[in-house]
Amino acid sequence: MDTELLSDTFVELADTMVAEFDVIEFLHLLTDRSVALLAASAAGVVLADPRGELRVAAASSEEAELLELFQLQNDQGPCLECFRTGRAVTATDLAGPAPQWPRFAEAAARAGFRSVEALPMRLRDQVIGALNLFGAGPGGFDAADLRIGQALADVATIGLLHERNVRRRETVAEQLQGALNSRVVIEQAKGKLAERLSIDMGRAFKMLRDYARNSNQHLTDVARDFVDGATADFPPPARRQPHR
Amino acid sequence: MTGSRALAVWAQVAAHAAAQGQRPSVADVCAVAVSSAQLSGAWVVAARGSDPDFVMCVTDPVSEQLAELQLTLGEGPCRDVLASAAPVLAGDLGDAESARRWPAFTPAACQLGAGALFAFPLIVGAIRAGVLGLYRSSPGPLPGRRFGDLLILADAATVMLLGSEHGDAENGDGAALDGQAPDLALHRAEIDQATGMLTVQLGVPVAAAFARLRAYAYSQDRRLADVAGDIVARRLRLGRDPGQHGGP
Repeated sequence: MDTELLSDTFVELADTMVAEFDVIEFLHLLTDRSVALLAASAAGVVLADPRGELRVAAASSEEAELLELFQLQNDQGPCLECFRTGRAVTATDLAGPAPQWPRFAEAAARAGFRSVEALPMRLRDQVIGALNLFGAGPGGFDAADLRIGQALADVATIGLLHERNVRRRETVAEQLQGALNSRVVIEQAKGKLAERLSIDMGRAFKMLRDYARNSNQHLTDVARDFVDGATADFPPPARRQPHR
Repeated sequence: MTGSRALAVWAQVAAHAAAQGQRPSVADVCAVAVSSAQLSGAWVVAARGSDPDFVMCVTDPVSEQLAELQLTLGEGPCRDVLASAAPVLAGDLGDAESARRWPAFTPAACQLGAGALFAFPLIVGAIRAGVLGLYRSSPGPLPGRRFGDLLILADAATVMLLGSEHGDAENGDGAALDGQAPDLALHRAEIDQATGMLTVQLGVPVAAAFARLRAYAYSQDRRLADVAGDIVARRLRLGRDPGQHGGP
Protein backbone atom coordinates (compact mmCIF):
# COMPACT_ATOMS: atom_id res chain seq x y z
CA MET A 1 0.00 0.00 0.00
CA ASP A 2 1.16 3.47 -0.88
CA THR A 3 1.56 4.95 2.61
CA GLU A 4 1.82 8.50 1.34
CA LEU A 5 -1.46 8.10 -0.50
CA LEU A 6 -2.89 6.62 2.68
CA SER A 7 -1.93 9.62 4.82
CA ASP A 8 -3.02 12.07 2.13
CA THR A 9 -6.38 10.33 1.92
CA PHE A 10 -7.08 10.46 5.62
CA VAL A 11 -5.91 14.06 5.90
CA GLU A 12 -8.20 14.97 3.02
CA LEU A 13 -11.19 13.18 4.53
CA ALA A 14 -10.58 14.69 7.97
CA ASP A 15 -10.19 18.18 6.52
CA THR A 16 -13.46 17.74 4.68
CA MET A 17 -15.28 16.63 7.78
CA VAL A 18 -14.33 19.56 9.99
CA ALA A 19 -15.87 21.99 7.55
CA GLU A 20 -19.39 22.11 6.18
CA PHE A 21 -19.81 19.51 3.51
CA ASP A 22 -22.33 17.86 1.25
CA VAL A 23 -22.86 14.27 2.30
CA ILE A 24 -23.22 12.82 -1.22
CA GLU A 25 -20.11 14.63 -2.45
CA PHE A 26 -18.28 13.32 0.61
CA LEU A 27 -19.32 9.74 -0.08
CA HIS A 28 -18.19 10.12 -3.69
CA LEU A 29 -14.83 11.36 -2.54
CA LEU A 30 -14.59 8.38 -0.26
CA THR A 31 -15.44 5.85 -2.97
CA ASP A 32 -12.92 7.48 -5.35
CA ARG A 33 -10.20 7.28 -2.71
CA SER A 34 -11.15 3.70 -1.83
CA VAL A 35 -10.52 2.66 -5.41
CA ALA A 36 -7.14 4.40 -5.47
CA LEU A 37 -5.95 3.18 -2.06
CA LEU A 38 -7.08 -0.41 -2.31
CA ALA A 39 -6.38 -0.85 -6.01
CA ALA A 40 -10.01 -1.78 -6.54
CA SER A 41 -11.65 -1.67 -9.93
CA ALA A 42 -14.79 -0.09 -8.56
CA ALA A 43 -16.41 0.82 -5.28
CA GLY A 44 -19.72 2.02 -3.92
CA VAL A 45 -21.42 3.03 -0.71
CA VAL A 46 -24.73 1.28 -0.25
CA LEU A 47 -27.20 2.40 2.44
CA ALA A 48 -29.94 0.36 4.06
CA ASP A 49 -33.24 2.16 3.64
CA PRO A 50 -35.72 1.13 6.34
CA ARG A 51 -38.35 0.81 3.61
CA GLY A 52 -36.62 -2.52 3.07
CA GLU A 53 -34.10 -1.80 0.34
CA LEU A 54 -30.39 -1.35 -0.24
CA ARG A 55 -29.74 1.86 -2.15
CA VAL A 56 -26.59 3.29 -3.71
CA ALA A 57 -25.50 6.57 -2.17
CA ALA A 58 -22.29 6.94 -4.20
CA ALA A 59 -20.28 4.90 -6.68
CA SER A 60 -16.87 5.27 -8.31
CA SER A 61 -18.42 5.34 -11.76
CA GLU A 62 -21.82 5.99 -13.30
CA GLU A 63 -21.59 2.93 -15.51
CA ALA A 64 -25.05 1.39 -15.62
CA GLU A 65 -23.49 -2.07 -15.31
CA LEU A 66 -21.89 -1.19 -12.00
CA LEU A 67 -25.01 0.46 -10.61
CA GLU A 68 -27.02 -2.59 -11.60
CA LEU A 69 -24.69 -4.72 -9.49
CA PHE A 70 -25.70 -2.77 -6.40
CA GLN A 71 -29.35 -3.04 -7.31
CA LEU A 72 -29.10 -6.83 -7.75
CA GLN A 73 -27.84 -7.19 -4.22
CA ASN A 74 -31.33 -6.52 -2.98
CA ASP A 75 -31.95 -10.16 -3.89
CA GLN A 76 -28.58 -11.72 -3.21
CA GLY A 77 -24.97 -10.73 -2.85
CA PRO A 78 -22.26 -9.64 -0.44
CA CYS A 79 -23.91 -6.35 0.61
CA LEU A 80 -27.14 -8.08 1.57
CA GLU A 81 -25.24 -10.65 3.60
CA CYS A 82 -23.04 -7.97 5.14
CA PHE A 83 -26.08 -5.97 6.14
CA ARG A 84 -27.78 -9.00 7.68
CA THR A 85 -24.75 -10.32 9.58
CA GLY A 86 -22.96 -7.06 10.37
CA ARG A 87 -19.72 -8.71 9.28
CA ALA A 88 -17.38 -8.22 6.35
CA VAL A 89 -18.23 -10.54 3.46
CA THR A 90 -15.70 -11.65 0.87
CA ALA A 91 -15.74 -13.56 -2.37
CA THR A 92 -12.32 -14.12 -3.84
CA ASP A 93 -13.35 -15.70 -7.12
CA LEU A 94 -16.79 -15.02 -8.51
CA ALA A 95 -15.90 -16.97 -11.65
CA GLY A 96 -15.06 -20.07 -9.66
CA PRO A 97 -17.24 -23.19 -9.37
CA ALA A 98 -20.42 -23.08 -7.27
CA PRO A 99 -20.50 -19.33 -6.60
CA GLN A 100 -22.37 -18.24 -3.51
CA TRP A 101 -24.64 -15.82 -5.28
CA PRO A 102 -25.11 -17.20 -8.80
CA ARG A 103 -27.08 -14.35 -10.40
CA PHE A 104 -24.95 -11.68 -8.81
CA ALA A 105 -21.71 -13.52 -9.64
CA GLU A 106 -22.73 -13.85 -13.27
CA ALA A 107 -23.58 -10.16 -13.59
CA ALA A 108 -20.37 -9.18 -11.82
CA ALA A 109 -18.30 -11.38 -14.10
CA ARG A 110 -19.97 -9.82 -17.16
CA ALA A 111 -19.03 -6.42 -15.80
CA GLY A 112 -15.41 -7.57 -15.51
CA PHE A 113 -15.22 -8.16 -11.77
CA ARG A 114 -13.91 -11.35 -10.24
CA SER A 115 -13.63 -10.55 -6.56
CA VAL A 116 -15.83 -8.57 -4.23
CA GLU A 117 -15.80 -7.33 -0.67
CA ALA A 118 -18.56 -5.79 1.43
CA LEU A 119 -17.47 -3.97 4.59
CA PRO A 120 -20.14 -3.04 7.12
CA MET A 121 -20.94 0.54 7.99
CA ARG A 122 -21.79 0.09 11.62
CA LEU A 123 -22.84 2.46 14.33
CA ARG A 124 -22.90 0.66 17.65
CA ASP A 125 -25.41 -2.14 17.16
CA GLN A 126 -26.86 -0.90 13.89
CA VAL A 127 -25.66 -1.70 10.36
CA ILE A 128 -26.60 1.29 8.23
CA GLY A 129 -24.97 0.17 5.00
CA ALA A 130 -21.82 -1.18 3.39
CA LEU A 131 -18.73 -0.15 1.47
CA ASN A 132 -18.70 -2.46 -1.55
CA LEU A 133 -15.40 -3.05 -3.35
CA PHE A 134 -14.85 -4.87 -6.65
CA GLY A 135 -11.62 -6.32 -8.01
CA ALA A 136 -10.84 -7.35 -11.58
CA GLY A 137 -8.73 -10.36 -10.67
CA PRO A 138 -9.42 -13.28 -8.39
CA GLY A 139 -7.93 -13.32 -4.91
CA GLY A 140 -9.59 -10.27 -3.49
CA PHE A 141 -7.97 -7.89 -1.06
CA ASP A 142 -5.30 -8.69 1.52
CA ALA A 143 -5.63 -8.27 5.27
CA ALA A 144 -3.90 -4.88 5.28
CA ASP A 145 -6.28 -3.66 2.55
CA LEU A 146 -9.28 -4.87 4.51
CA ARG A 147 -8.22 -3.05 7.66
CA ILE A 148 -7.97 0.18 5.71
CA GLY A 149 -11.20 -0.63 3.90
CA GLN A 150 -13.03 -1.08 7.20
CA ALA A 151 -11.58 2.21 8.44
CA LEU A 152 -12.90 3.89 5.29
CA ALA A 153 -16.32 2.32 5.88
CA ASP A 154 -16.22 3.70 9.44
CA VAL A 155 -15.30 7.14 8.11
CA ALA A 156 -18.26 6.95 5.73
CA THR A 157 -20.53 6.23 8.69
CA ILE A 158 -19.18 9.15 10.69
CA GLY A 159 -19.46 11.41 7.66
CA LEU A 160 -23.14 10.60 7.32
CA LEU A 161 -23.82 11.64 10.88
CA HIS A 162 -21.43 14.53 11.19
CA GLU A 163 -23.84 17.30 11.88
CA ARG A 164 -25.96 16.08 14.67
CA ASN A 165 -25.96 14.63 18.11
CA VAL A 166 -25.71 10.95 17.31
CA ARG A 167 -26.60 9.67 20.73
CA ARG A 168 -30.18 9.66 19.56
CA ARG A 169 -30.94 6.59 17.49
CA GLU A 170 -33.52 8.75 15.71
CA THR A 171 -30.78 11.03 14.40
CA VAL A 172 -29.25 8.17 12.43
CA ALA A 173 -32.60 7.39 10.83
CA GLU A 174 -33.32 11.04 10.02
CA GLN A 175 -29.86 11.69 8.55
CA LEU A 176 -29.96 8.58 6.37
CA GLN A 177 -33.25 9.68 4.83
CA GLY A 178 -31.78 13.11 4.15
CA ALA A 179 -28.81 11.50 2.39
CA LEU A 180 -31.04 9.19 0.35
CA ASN A 181 -33.21 12.09 -0.76
CA SER A 182 -30.13 14.11 -1.71
CA ARG A 183 -29.18 11.25 -4.00
CA VAL A 184 -32.59 11.48 -5.68
CA VAL A 185 -32.18 15.24 -6.23
CA ILE A 186 -28.82 14.60 -7.84
CA GLU A 187 -30.25 11.92 -10.14
CA GLN A 188 -33.02 14.32 -11.21
CA ALA A 189 -30.41 16.98 -11.94
CA LYS A 190 -28.29 14.53 -13.92
CA GLY A 191 -31.30 13.68 -16.08
CA LYS A 192 -32.19 17.32 -16.71
CA LEU A 193 -28.61 18.24 -17.63
CA ALA A 194 -27.99 15.12 -19.72
CA GLU A 195 -31.13 15.85 -21.77
CA ARG A 196 -30.37 19.56 -22.12
CA LEU A 197 -26.83 19.02 -23.40
CA SER A 198 -27.32 15.61 -25.02
CA ILE A 199 -24.60 14.04 -22.91
CA ASP A 200 -24.46 10.86 -20.84
CA MET A 201 -25.27 10.67 -17.15
CA GLY A 202 -21.63 10.27 -16.16
CA ARG A 203 -20.64 13.48 -17.87
CA ALA A 204 -23.65 15.31 -16.51
CA PHE A 205 -22.72 14.24 -13.00
CA LYS A 206 -19.14 15.37 -13.47
CA MET A 207 -20.30 18.80 -14.65
CA LEU A 208 -22.56 19.21 -11.63
CA ARG A 209 -19.79 18.12 -9.29
CA ASP A 210 -17.15 20.37 -10.86
CA TYR A 211 -19.48 23.36 -10.84
CA ALA A 212 -20.35 22.82 -7.17
CA ARG A 213 -16.70 22.57 -6.22
CA ASN A 214 -15.62 25.57 -8.28
CA SER A 215 -18.43 27.78 -7.03
CA ASN A 216 -18.00 26.60 -3.44
CA GLN A 217 -21.53 25.28 -3.10
CA HIS A 218 -22.98 22.02 -1.84
CA LEU A 219 -23.53 19.51 -4.61
CA THR A 220 -27.10 18.86 -3.42
CA ASP A 221 -27.90 22.58 -3.38
CA VAL A 222 -26.58 23.00 -6.93
CA ALA A 223 -28.61 19.99 -8.02
CA ARG A 224 -31.79 21.20 -6.33
CA ASP A 225 -31.48 24.75 -7.67
CA PHE A 226 -30.93 23.33 -11.16
CA VAL A 227 -33.91 20.98 -10.98
CA ASP A 228 -36.15 23.71 -9.54
CA GLY A 229 -34.88 26.38 -11.93
CA ALA A 230 -37.07 27.59 -14.74
CA THR A 231 -34.33 27.07 -17.31
CA ALA A 232 -32.07 24.16 -18.08
CA ASP A 233 -29.14 26.43 -18.90
CA PHE A 234 -25.90 25.30 -17.33
CA PRO A 235 -23.92 26.79 -15.70
CA PRO A 236 -27.04 28.33 -14.19
CA PRO A 237 -27.65 32.09 -14.22
CA ALA A 238 -26.26 34.06 -11.26
CA ARG A 239 -27.47 32.57 -8.01
CA ARG A 240 -30.19 34.38 -6.12
CA GLN A 241 -30.19 34.50 -2.35
CA PRO A 242 -32.07 31.44 -1.05
CA HIS A 243 -35.70 32.11 -0.17
CA ARG A 244 -36.52 31.30 3.44
CA MET B 1 -35.06 -6.84 0.26
CA THR B 2 -37.39 -7.18 -2.68
CA GLY B 3 -39.99 -4.49 -2.11
CA SER B 4 -42.48 -6.95 -0.62
CA ARG B 5 -42.74 -4.81 2.49
CA ALA B 6 -43.92 -1.83 0.45
CA LEU B 7 -46.52 -4.01 -1.26
CA ALA B 8 -47.81 -5.26 2.11
CA VAL B 9 -48.14 -1.73 3.47
CA TRP B 10 -49.88 -0.44 0.33
CA ALA B 11 -52.25 -3.40 0.49
CA GLN B 12 -53.33 -2.19 3.95
CA VAL B 13 -54.13 1.24 2.52
CA ALA B 14 -56.11 -0.28 -0.34
CA ALA B 15 -57.97 -2.54 2.08
CA HIS B 16 -58.86 0.39 4.33
CA ALA B 17 -60.26 2.30 1.35
CA ALA B 18 -62.13 -0.73 0.05
CA ALA B 19 -63.79 -1.21 3.43
CA GLN B 20 -65.27 2.29 3.04
CA GLY B 21 -66.22 1.64 -0.57
CA GLN B 22 -63.88 4.43 -1.71
CA ARG B 23 -60.81 4.91 -3.84
CA PRO B 24 -57.62 5.12 -1.75
CA SER B 25 -56.73 8.61 -0.58
CA VAL B 26 -54.45 10.36 1.88
CA ALA B 27 -57.17 9.87 4.51
CA ASP B 28 -56.60 6.11 4.26
CA VAL B 29 -52.85 6.61 4.53
CA CYS B 30 -53.36 8.62 7.73
CA ALA B 31 -55.70 6.03 9.22
CA VAL B 32 -53.34 3.12 8.49
CA ALA B 33 -50.36 5.10 9.83
CA VAL B 34 -52.15 5.72 13.12
CA SER B 35 -53.27 2.15 13.63
CA SER B 36 -50.08 0.39 12.50
CA ALA B 37 -47.76 2.62 14.54
CA GLN B 38 -50.21 2.80 17.45
CA LEU B 39 -50.31 6.58 17.48
CA SER B 40 -53.03 9.02 18.46
CA GLY B 41 -53.59 10.93 15.24
CA ALA B 42 -52.24 11.99 11.85
CA TRP B 43 -52.58 14.73 9.27
CA VAL B 44 -51.37 15.64 5.81
CA VAL B 45 -50.49 19.18 4.82
CA ALA B 46 -49.91 20.14 1.17
CA ALA B 47 -46.92 22.30 0.27
CA ARG B 48 -46.65 25.40 -1.82
CA GLY B 49 -43.10 25.91 -2.99
CA SER B 50 -40.90 24.86 -0.10
CA ASP B 51 -43.38 25.69 2.67
CA PRO B 52 -46.29 23.84 4.19
CA ASP B 53 -49.44 25.51 2.92
CA PHE B 54 -52.78 23.99 3.84
CA VAL B 55 -54.26 21.02 5.62
CA MET B 56 -55.44 18.23 3.31
CA CYS B 57 -56.80 15.79 5.89
CA VAL B 58 -56.79 15.00 9.59
CA THR B 59 -57.86 11.95 11.60
CA ASP B 60 -59.10 13.86 14.69
CA PRO B 61 -59.52 17.35 16.18
CA VAL B 62 -56.19 17.38 18.03
CA SER B 63 -54.35 16.55 14.81
CA GLU B 64 -56.18 19.39 13.10
CA GLN B 65 -55.11 21.80 15.82
CA LEU B 66 -51.50 20.60 15.72
CA ALA B 67 -51.45 21.01 11.93
CA GLU B 68 -53.03 24.46 11.96
CA LEU B 69 -50.86 25.64 14.85
CA GLN B 70 -47.68 24.95 12.88
CA LEU B 71 -49.03 26.83 9.87
CA THR B 72 -50.05 29.79 12.01
CA LEU B 73 -46.78 29.95 13.93
CA GLY B 74 -44.63 29.19 10.89
CA GLU B 75 -42.66 26.92 13.20
CA GLY B 76 -42.54 23.21 14.04
CA PRO B 77 -41.48 19.78 12.82
CA CYS B 78 -43.68 19.98 9.71
CA ARG B 79 -41.88 23.08 8.49
CA ASP B 80 -38.47 21.65 9.36
CA VAL B 81 -38.91 18.46 7.38
CA LEU B 82 -39.57 20.37 4.16
CA ALA B 83 -36.53 22.56 4.73
CA SER B 84 -34.21 19.67 5.54
CA ALA B 85 -35.81 17.00 3.32
CA ALA B 86 -35.48 14.57 6.23
CA PRO B 87 -37.98 13.29 8.80
CA VAL B 88 -38.18 14.64 12.34
CA LEU B 89 -38.77 12.12 15.11
CA ALA B 90 -39.51 14.05 18.29
CA GLY B 91 -40.25 11.27 20.73
CA ASP B 92 -40.55 13.58 23.70
CA LEU B 93 -41.97 17.06 23.27
CA GLY B 94 -41.24 17.65 26.94
CA ASP B 95 -37.48 17.45 26.52
CA ALA B 96 -35.03 20.32 26.22
CA GLU B 97 -34.29 19.55 22.57
CA SER B 98 -37.91 20.16 21.51
CA ALA B 99 -38.17 23.36 23.53
CA ARG B 100 -34.98 24.60 21.89
CA ARG B 101 -36.01 23.72 18.36
CA TRP B 102 -39.60 24.98 18.51
CA PRO B 103 -39.89 27.47 21.38
CA ALA B 104 -43.36 28.69 20.42
CA PHE B 105 -44.83 25.46 19.07
CA THR B 106 -43.69 23.00 21.75
CA PRO B 107 -45.52 24.36 24.81
CA ALA B 108 -48.69 24.86 22.78
CA ALA B 109 -48.46 21.32 21.37
CA CYS B 110 -48.02 19.87 24.86
CA GLN B 111 -51.05 21.87 25.99
CA LEU B 112 -53.06 20.25 23.22
CA GLY B 113 -52.08 16.84 24.57
CA ALA B 114 -49.21 15.81 22.31
CA GLY B 115 -46.39 13.89 24.01
CA ALA B 116 -44.51 12.89 20.86
CA LEU B 117 -44.60 14.16 17.30
CA PHE B 118 -43.25 12.61 14.11
CA ALA B 119 -43.14 14.36 10.75
CA PHE B 120 -42.25 13.02 7.31
CA PRO B 121 -41.60 15.16 4.25
CA LEU B 122 -43.70 14.07 1.27
CA ILE B 123 -40.97 14.49 -1.32
CA VAL B 124 -39.32 12.87 -4.30
CA GLY B 125 -35.93 14.52 -4.59
CA ALA B 126 -36.60 18.16 -5.45
CA ILE B 127 -40.36 17.58 -5.71
CA ARG B 128 -42.12 18.75 -2.55
CA ALA B 129 -45.74 17.66 -2.22
CA GLY B 130 -46.36 18.20 1.48
CA VAL B 131 -45.89 16.78 4.96
CA LEU B 132 -47.28 13.80 6.88
CA GLY B 133 -47.54 14.61 10.59
CA LEU B 134 -48.33 12.19 13.39
CA TYR B 135 -48.65 12.52 17.14
CA ARG B 136 -48.98 10.36 20.19
CA SER B 137 -50.41 11.62 23.45
CA SER B 138 -47.75 9.77 25.46
CA PRO B 139 -44.04 10.42 24.88
CA GLY B 140 -41.79 7.64 23.61
CA PRO B 141 -39.76 6.80 20.52
CA LEU B 142 -41.15 5.29 17.36
CA PRO B 143 -40.35 1.56 17.32
CA GLY B 144 -37.73 0.88 14.64
CA ARG B 145 -39.92 -1.40 12.59
CA ARG B 146 -42.68 1.21 12.38
CA PHE B 147 -40.34 3.82 10.93
CA GLY B 148 -39.91 1.85 7.71
CA ASP B 149 -43.67 1.39 7.37
CA LEU B 150 -44.27 5.12 7.89
CA LEU B 151 -41.71 5.94 5.18
CA ILE B 152 -43.62 3.70 2.80
CA LEU B 153 -46.91 5.32 3.81
CA ALA B 154 -45.36 8.74 3.25
CA ASP B 155 -44.38 7.61 -0.27
CA ALA B 156 -47.99 6.58 -0.92
CA ALA B 157 -49.25 9.96 0.29
CA THR B 158 -46.69 11.73 -1.90
CA VAL B 159 -47.78 9.91 -5.00
CA MET B 160 -51.43 10.60 -4.21
CA LEU B 161 -50.85 14.32 -3.68
CA LEU B 162 -48.87 14.59 -6.91
CA GLY B 163 -51.44 12.58 -8.83
CA SER B 164 -54.39 14.65 -7.75
CA GLU B 165 -52.54 17.91 -8.25
CA HIS B 166 -51.54 17.08 -11.78
CA GLY B 167 -54.88 16.04 -13.12
CA ASP B 168 -54.82 12.32 -12.55
CA ALA B 169 -58.59 12.71 -12.47
CA GLU B 170 -59.18 9.99 -15.06
CA ASN B 171 -56.84 7.57 -13.35
CA GLY B 172 -57.85 8.76 -9.92
CA ASP B 173 -55.82 8.31 -6.82
CA GLY B 174 -56.22 4.63 -7.49
CA ALA B 175 -53.43 4.91 -10.03
CA ALA B 176 -51.14 5.10 -7.06
CA LEU B 177 -52.12 1.66 -5.93
CA ASP B 178 -53.30 -0.24 -8.96
CA GLY B 179 -50.40 -0.84 -11.26
CA GLN B 180 -47.83 1.41 -9.76
CA ALA B 181 -47.36 0.27 -6.18
CA PRO B 182 -44.97 -2.45 -7.27
CA ASP B 183 -43.03 0.03 -9.37
CA LEU B 184 -42.29 2.36 -6.51
CA ALA B 185 -41.60 -0.49 -4.10
CA LEU B 186 -37.98 -0.65 -5.19
CA HIS B 187 -36.39 2.68 -5.87
CA ARG B 188 -34.62 3.05 -9.25
CA ALA B 189 -32.25 5.85 -10.20
CA GLU B 190 -33.58 5.70 -13.78
CA ILE B 191 -36.96 6.93 -12.58
CA ASP B 192 -35.33 10.03 -11.11
CA GLN B 193 -33.15 10.55 -14.17
CA ALA B 194 -36.10 10.15 -16.53
CA THR B 195 -38.03 12.67 -14.44
CA GLY B 196 -35.23 15.19 -14.91
CA MET B 197 -35.04 14.45 -18.62
CA LEU B 198 -38.77 15.00 -18.98
CA THR B 199 -38.57 18.51 -17.52
CA VAL B 200 -36.64 19.37 -20.69
CA GLN B 201 -38.49 17.11 -23.14
CA LEU B 202 -41.88 18.38 -22.00
CA GLY B 203 -40.89 21.85 -20.85
CA VAL B 204 -42.61 21.41 -17.49
CA PRO B 205 -41.63 21.71 -13.81
CA VAL B 206 -40.31 18.60 -12.11
CA ALA B 207 -43.50 17.65 -10.25
CA ALA B 208 -45.46 17.70 -13.51
CA ALA B 209 -42.70 15.73 -15.26
CA PHE B 210 -42.96 13.00 -12.64
CA ALA B 211 -46.76 12.93 -12.91
CA ARG B 212 -46.55 12.63 -16.73
CA LEU B 213 -44.03 9.80 -16.44
CA ARG B 214 -46.31 7.86 -14.12
CA ALA B 215 -49.40 8.63 -16.18
CA TYR B 216 -47.67 7.40 -19.33
CA ALA B 217 -46.54 4.14 -17.70
CA TYR B 218 -50.05 3.59 -16.34
CA SER B 219 -51.69 4.29 -19.70
CA GLN B 220 -49.34 1.85 -21.42
CA ASP B 221 -49.73 -0.71 -18.64
CA ARG B 222 -45.97 -0.84 -18.26
CA ARG B 223 -43.76 -0.84 -15.23
CA LEU B 224 -42.55 2.62 -14.27
CA ALA B 225 -38.93 1.45 -14.02
CA ASP B 226 -39.07 -0.03 -17.54
CA VAL B 227 -40.51 3.14 -19.08
CA ALA B 228 -37.89 5.18 -17.23
CA GLY B 229 -35.18 2.84 -18.50
CA ASP B 230 -36.35 3.38 -22.10
CA ILE B 231 -36.34 7.15 -21.66
CA VAL B 232 -32.84 7.16 -20.15
CA ALA B 233 -31.57 4.89 -22.92
CA ARG B 234 -33.19 7.29 -25.40
CA ARG B 235 -35.38 4.59 -26.89
CA LEU B 236 -38.41 6.63 -25.94
CA ARG B 237 -39.22 10.34 -25.89
CA LEU B 238 -42.42 11.82 -24.54
CA GLY B 239 -43.95 14.62 -26.59
CA ARG B 240 -45.47 17.83 -25.31
CA ASP B 241 -48.96 16.58 -26.14
CA PRO B 242 -50.18 13.96 -23.68
CA GLY B 243 -50.97 11.49 -26.44
CA GLN B 244 -47.75 11.92 -28.39
CA HIS B 245 -44.70 9.78 -27.91
CA GLY B 246 -42.08 8.25 -30.11
CA GLY B 247 -38.60 6.90 -30.59
CA PRO B 248 -35.45 9.02 -30.57
